[in-house]
Amino acid sequence: MGFTDRFQKTTEPRHRLGAMEADHYIYSAGIAGEKFFTALRDRGIILASHCKACAITYVPSRLFCERCFAELTDSDDREVGPEGEVATFTLVRQDSAGNALPEPEILAVIRFGHETTGFLHKLGEVSPEKVETGMKVEAVLKPQEEREARITDIAYFRPVKK
Amino acid sequence: MNLKETNRSAAVVGAGMTLFASRLQETGKEMTWEAAKMALDQAGLTLADIDAVILGTAPDAFDGVHKKGEWLLDGAGGVGKPYMRVYTGGGTAVMAPIAGWWHVASGMYDKVLVLCEEKMSSVQPHAQSAFGHIWDPILDRPLKPNLVWIFSMEMQRYMHKYDVSYEDIASVAVKNKRNAVGHPCAQLADPDITLEDVINSEPMALPVRRLDISPPSDGASAVVIVRGDMAHDLTEIPVFIDGVGWCIDTTMWTNRDLAFPEFVVKAAKMAYDMAGIDNPKKEIDVAEPYDPFDYKEVQHLEALGLFEPGEAARATREGKTQRDGELPVCPSGGLLGVGNPIAATLGIKVGELFWQLSGQAGVRQVKKDIRTGVTQAWGDLMQFSSVLVMRRH
Ligand SMILES: [Zn+2]
Repeated sequence: MGFTDRFQKTTEPRHRLGAMEADHYIYSAGIAGEKFFTALRDRGIILASHCKACAITYVPSRLFCERCFAELTDSDDREVGPEGEVATFTLVRQDSAGNALPEPEILAVIRFGHETTGFLHKLGEVSPEKVETGMKVEAVLKPQEEREARITDIAYFRPVKK
Repeated sequence: MNLKETNRSAAVVGAGMTLFASRLQETGKEMTWEAAKMALDQAGLTLADIDAVILGTAPDAFDGVHKKGEWLLDGAGGVGKPYMRVYTGGGTAVMAPIAGWWHVASGMYDKVLVLCEEKMSSVQPHAQSAFGHIWDPILDRPLKPNLVWIFSMEMQRYMHKYDVSYEDIASVAVKNKRNAVGHPCAQLADPDITLEDVINSEPMALPVRRLDISPPSDGASAVVIVRGDMAHDLTEIPVFIDGVGWCIDTTMWTNRDLAFPEFVVKAAKMAYDMAGIDNPKKEIDVAEPYDPFDYKEVQHLEALGLFEPGEAARATREGKTQRDGELPVCPSGGLLGVGNPIAATLGIKVGELFWQLSGQAGVRQVKKDIRTGVTQAWGDLMQFSSVLVMRRH
């Protein structure tokens, strides 16, 4: 999908410009999601859910295990991070409209140990050429008063200082 | 699963496809009709002969019409017939013909028309605007993902795990864009493209550059699938659907093994088992794997069991997958060369294998004798795969 296609003329008989007018949607964070975001905002922690039967830790927390359908309750909660490891990353050079970004944005999948699922976020305080798969990173949270129970309460992940 | 106990055999006896390009003049219905007419003509059938119709098309958001299946109905020839829509994202291209196959193999219908349509030029300013809404709205969308960067992360993981070079992967784009030369429907064929052109193309989300990616497009494709015992009456060389398979991985894409698509292995195993294929490396003569990005072709070849993990890119650079190589891969020119109107890539996957295995591929025809082919598509949130094994009996 290239980004260079142009807006089309819509004044000719062959076209009509229209929209699908739904203005916005209310998306639910879910029962487990609400718990995760509350913990992130109020306690500054990354909450996960552990399924004993499958030996897998879901980040963020989940209401059920998608592999065995077990219900995951408070007793299955685990706190992970703030340190993790870069499983893969990309250096984004263009925004979604195809405009060059002044500085590349760095997105990464982060894992908090062998049996955890991956977690998507941005990297910061690191130059693009220094990023590599396997590097140790840690979550940098916004100050408590700025947190609003969103995934962006984590500002980014930065390399762990040795 | 009872893979060997389907009721009866089914074969493709005709295929059609339109030009792949930005086609703002035609409606989706008109393109669908054009492709359907070609496939019916090739099979020597009329719409009245068709018992049931399957339509494949991807997100409604592309065309900007909800319930796209119903909206495209008249162009698909489904009025007054059993009709259904199949939608598994990019995987639709091979899943819709699988649905066509089960309509026939179940014993319910004798002659089925399968169509796939996509019109990506309607959505403004760009198809990316529609792709922006396929992500988890709570976890992913606040980080403003676009498709390119998640593919880029997959590619990075693949290169890291198997120590594969970018240049070897980029040679897939060169091969496919050259293969597309002479395809009457091609959008991006380029006889002169070089590896340097790909390596020096505009960086989008590194390691992905512009020429590593197939372009959005408009188009439609169709195939006619009939009872095996009727096939020889309709065409000189029918091509039988001997194996089908499909599988889906978790929707939480960060939880997947991004380097090796296990779900493709499972889909392929189902299709190979049904077709009685024990050693795909020996028994497959030609392959049309899904190639929306160059690294996806090599990942898919590996998961289809045609190369060892991490080896398909080097094999491509060494020429083994050229049209005249040991295993011709994407002789159509693929999505990278012909274009990527999501579901409509049916024509360069199942359509191409039909034309190749029946000796009707013209300038694209693989020269050596080919009897068995595998094709595969990939979609939903990068998690679904559909696989077909096709054979000349
Ligand atoms: Zn479980």
